Amino acid sequence: MLTSFNHLLYTELLLLVRRSQDWLYPLGFFVVVLCVFPLAFTPDPLFLEKYIPGCIWIAALFANVLAIETIFYTDLEDGHLEQLLLSEVPLTFLLLAKLAAQWIATSLPLIILTPLIGLLFHLPGNVMVAMCVGLLLGTPILTLIGSLCVALTLGLQQQGVLLGLLILPLVTPVLIFGVNIAQQAQAHFSIIGASAFLAGLLVLAVTLLPWAIAATLRVSLDD
Amino acid sequence: MTMIFEATKLSCIRQQRILFSDVSFRLEKGGLLLVQGSNGSGKSSLLRILCGIATPYSGDIHWTPQHMHYIGHTNGIKLGLTVLENMRLFAALIQQPHDETMPVLTQLELHPYQHRLAKHLSAGQKRRLALAKLLLFPKPLWILDEPLTALDAHSQRIFLSALETHLKNGGMAIVSSHHAFTLNDVKIQTLTLGEYSPC
Repeated sequence: MLTSFNHLLYTELLLLVRRSQDWLYPLGFFVVVLCVFPLAFTPDPLFLEKYIPGCIWIAALFANVLAIETIFYTDLEDGHLEQLLLSEVPLTFLLLAKLAAQWIATSLPLIILTPLIGLLFHLPGNVMVAMCVGLLLGTPILTLIGSLCVALTLGLQQQGVLLGLLILPLVTPVLIFGVNIAQQAQAHFSIIGASAFLAGLLVLAVTLLPWAIAATLRVSLDD
Repeated sequence: MTMIFEATKLSCIRQQRILFSDVSFRLEKGGLLLVQGSNGSGKSSLLRILCGIATPYSGDIHWTPQHMHYIGHTNGIKLGLTVLENMRLFAALIQQPHDETMPVLTQLELHPYQHRLAKHLSAGQKRRLALAKLLLFPKPLWILDEPLTALDAHSQRIFLSALETHLKNGGMAIVSSHHAFTLNDVKIQTLTLGEYSPC
């Protein structure tokens, strides 16, 4: 079973590398949105230093919604999803591999890029570390909740806007605790409390949501 | 494990319309069920119900879902992977080693394309690649939705002889097809859908 997991993870990553638009466009979107914020506010460094962590979170959230939209699309089109359903390996396990690949391809580059963005906006070192910790704990939750919503709306036309409406209210706790981590760091407090909350949410999401996504997919394909 | 596939009084409703009702059949070792019917008569829906992806409106099916191969009208291959990588993916999903890839590829005449991406194959070659897993990983039941679509006469013969061998070895198959075909020494049961009036 573990070899199946590893092989599917490898295959999904290979597919994502070959279909680079799936992860490069959201990453580009993330960078461009962050570069637009100073134009809309004021280019005052002190102001930006204070508010840019929140902007990074919002941009990461939107980039994630953009990237997640296509997660099951090609699988549905080419019938691979049916084969996953019929596989001897439990669907939950296969989905875990798929979601892991999705997270590695779409969110990890974003987290790696965050220190660079922080440098651009003169963020202090401890805030940058806090941002990275927050995103590292928070983005898997975004991916999980996002793919649950995609599974729910599978087969609908124009699911894009509906997805935004479904996902954004559900991820508010992630946003609140994520920004809270950065704020604690800015005030030179310990970030452990807020991080623990986010880590708790992550554990809850990783243990429960793959089952929910698998069940939802079965329902969505039952037509 | 008893080698009998049994469906009793299956019915299916789509968009407030009865596609079929009271479909019952019994398939034993070496049996082939040919599902026929016009477009929209519910052939694909029936096959999806038989393999367990969809649930029937009423009726029962007695079979273990893991003991079968299903190939729908979509091929179930990843277009972004090469032929060989697709075979390895089949193997991972079925949890079996993939040692005898080459003979099967040669049999289906796909060996010159083994490193080519599936999206660059022709429709018939994609179909053959989808059918490859039937030969690679033996399972007692094949459920195939229009397996002959897009195949040329030569590939159809290759596929039919593989089907014949499978049935002779005690396998079973449920196949939907517009093409009439004959197999030697095989008793073909025919199920014709679309004879039910909409209510």
